[in-house]
Amino acid sequence: MTTITLPTVVRSPDWVRHLRARPTTVLASLVVVVALVAAFAPGVLTPHSPTTIHLQQTLRSPSWHHLFGTDEAGRDLFTRVVYGTRESLGIGVGATAIAMAIAIVFGFTAGLVGGIVDSLITRLLEVLFSFPALLLALLVVAVRGPSLETELIAVGVGSAPGYARMVRGQVLNVREAPYVEAASALGHRRRTVIRRHLFPNAFRPLVAVMTLGVGQSIVWASSLSFLGFGVPPPSPEWGALLDAGRDFITTSWWLEILPGLVIVLLAIAVTSLGRTLQHKLEGAAR
Amino acid sequence: MKTLSRRRGAASGTAAALALVAGLAACGSGSSSENTAASSGTPVQGGVISYAHVQEPPCIFGGWIQQAYVSRNVLDGLVAEADDGSVVPWLATSWTTSADGLSYTFTLKPGVKFTDGTSVDAAAVAWNFNFWENPPNANSGNSTAKVSLDPYYKDAKALDATHVKIDLTKPYGQFLRLITQGYFGIQSPTAFQKEGVKQNCEDPIGSGAFTVAQWKHGQEIVLKRNPNYTSWPANAKHKGPAYVDEVDYKFVPDDVSRYASLGTGQSQVVYEVPTSEWKDAQSKYQTIKYITPGHPPSFFIDTTDGPFADLKVRQAFAYGADRKGAVEAAFHGVIPYEGNPAVSQSTPGYNAQAAADYAYDPAKANALLDQAGWVKGADGIRTKDGKPLTIRIPYGSGVILPQEGAAALQILQQQWKQVGFNVQLIPLSQAELFAGKDSAPGTFDATPSYWTSPSPAILWIVYRPTTKANPNGNNESFFNSNQLSQVIQAANTEPDGAKADQLYQQAQQIVQDNAAGIGFYTQYSLYAVSKKLHDFWLEKSQGEPVFADAYYTK
Repeated sequence: MTTITLPTVVRSPDWVRHLRARPTTVLASLVVVVALVAAFAPGVLTPHSPTTIHLQQTLRSPSWHHLFGTDEAGRDLFTRVVYGTRESLGIGVGATAIAMAIAIVFGFTAGLVGGIVDSLITRLLEVLFSFPALLLALLVVAVRGPSLETELIAVGVGSAPGYARMVRGQVLNVREAPYVEAASALGHRRRTVIRRHLFPNAFRPLVAVMTLGVGQSIVWASSLSFLGFGVPPPSPEWGALLDAGRDFITTSWWLEILPGLVIVLLAIAVTSLGRTLQHKLEGAAR
Repeated sequence: MKTLSRRRGAASGTAAALALVAGLAACGSGSSSENTAASSGTPVQGGVISYAHVQEPPCIFGGWIQQAYVSRNVLDGLVAEADDGSVVPWLATSWTTSADGLSYTFTLKPGVKFTDGTSVDAAAVAWNFNFWENPPNANSGNSTAKVSLDPYYKDAKALDATHVKIDLTKPYGQFLRLITQGYFGIQSPTAFQKEGVKQNCEDPIGSGAFTVAQWKHGQEIVLKRNPNYTSWPANAKHKGPAYVDEVDYKFVPDDVSRYASLGTGQSQVVYEVPTSEWKDAQSKYQTIKYITPGHPPSFFIDTTDGPFADLKVRQAFAYGADRKGAVEAAFHGVIPYEGNPAVSQSTPGYNAQAAADYAYDPAKANALLDQAGWVKGADGIRTKDGKPLTIRIPYGSGVILPQEGAAALQILQQQWKQVGFNVQLIPLSQAELFAGKDSAPGTFDATPSYWTSPSPAILWIVYRPTTKANPNGNNESFFNSNQLSQVIQAANTEPDGAKADQLYQQAQQIVQDNAAGIGFYTQYSLYAVSKKLHDFWLEKSQGEPVFADAYYTK
């Protein structure tokens, strides 16, 4: 009897393979993890306070002591960016959640009820669609006055119509799917079909869209703050930092450029994760 | 409407007047006075001046300084204020005052025409005075002209074609100085009666060096040269119509783009240079720094409601932050701190001693708050009867306070926190501000606001007590003091100028002693002017830009 020895295949551990296959995903995850740490435990990343002023150390350029330099009140900009993460990320996630909640109510109602209700909702969404999202958001701010909650609602309401149309399309799509027909044919009650088949399958692709929306919302919230309609001072919310840094772009570049880069970095990271998620979930529906 | 005009007036606060110009033209050659970009070379006829300004006014004619900035170039006044503070002829070549101080008779320059062809005669001037005092409706008038004349104006009469007599109810020593402001530009009654309110909003017809050719809302106001100009003021830099063909007021709210437009040649004159760029501007261009007289951007305090109803708490607030340090840091040492909340350091009759009160003293602030019964909690914020010591400060963001002012507020906010105040900063947009948001008693605790004026008589406008018959919406501290009222009135009607100034100083001390206002910084104009342009100047009463004498050289 001959023993055949199979060559041993040395397999890298899963995480290493994953790292090689998708370095961007890993990088993006890293950025998001750091952002989460900044949001929940900012003290871990910086020993300073975001509001303490030092009139003797104003407008210092970036150095080892002040990684991102200081502003015109001598506040440490890196510390302000770190402490601003909670608000910026919170607005991103919160606004997207609000947008989704509105979208699900409208989208599911339109998609499931159909008929005249569907027509009405669809027309309403089209009307809302004709306004740029930022304009809708500004309208909300004008009515409620600037504050953190307003900014959440404004960005949420501003981006809701797009999601609502997506949800409706998804519901219509899934409603006609053979497995839903099959479930109905098997005599399942309508409510059961909605709960067990329609809802999860219509919702799954939206998870990825939501993740993408977080990045977008952060940018929008920053735009509102930049325009002076965001959270009131001395909040270190990122858009507010951009607004405050505007006057110094030629004299103290770090006040404008560094917070801007951080916004871009987090928005790209979250969007990149969203795409990965989208790919994974595609085809997972049944 | 009432609210709107009140806020506008306040905003207009801007309005001020006597000026001190601290700054100056850094110019290559030629002579230059403080408020003027230097003269040099032989003027060429023609050319266009692109002027980058910050705020677009709601109308060209009106009582906000943003309106006078434009209307000064379209409408001529009766008299002007010279750089030495004296009042000099303009449409009026001379005037006499009656011995009792109750009548002013002006002799008008003969033959002057409005740009609609009608005459600038005594009847037209009298019509303007009556129009300011009794506007056909609240939108058409001019809140600052009205409140400036109100206390003592009786009527205006044309004696003949070139003589007009203004009667007052009491002597008013500041009368002439007040009417040097751009709000008192004389417009054509014929044109106004033909077109009504729209006329003086969009295209007021005067006898000035320029006419309004076009107003592209949201972008620019185009002024065209009046080739038939004959009525320059005695302090003009040249006699004759304007040299340049056109002046374009471009509205560029963004500080950096506005200043950069000078470097790229898109503009030749820039208003409100960011203080962070001031050194750069001084090294590259001609510059003019003007400290505006009148009520500076100081804090009005709600003295009737909330924690600040208690004098000790107001005083603690004044002691509790290094306002001088904050202003110096935020304005990069370019703009002075102003400790006198009532009038600024460039105003005649200024009380410098009062300005020195309430220097930063956290120990005193803490002691006063302890006495007033406010106890520090674990988070450092004081409370009394379970209520936190919260101070709401709404402010016109970009409207009243420039970016630097908002930055200074954030510095103060941190310092006030050290002594136990929880200060909430509430930025308001121009629309919210003009709508009167957070301006009623009980809706705010302190709010920075200014009202420019060349005269300490501004005290009567902003501190006249409210009475049932005659409420005063401009008294934003709601400080109704009989004593203060009497002192200001005595000053206004005192014929001896030196004695009047003493009384005005006493009034400022009363405001300060009661902490009815808290000092902050001075209103100002920072101009950068291309080295190619000469004899652009700011008039004295409140720094209105004058383009009639500006010229290019070959």
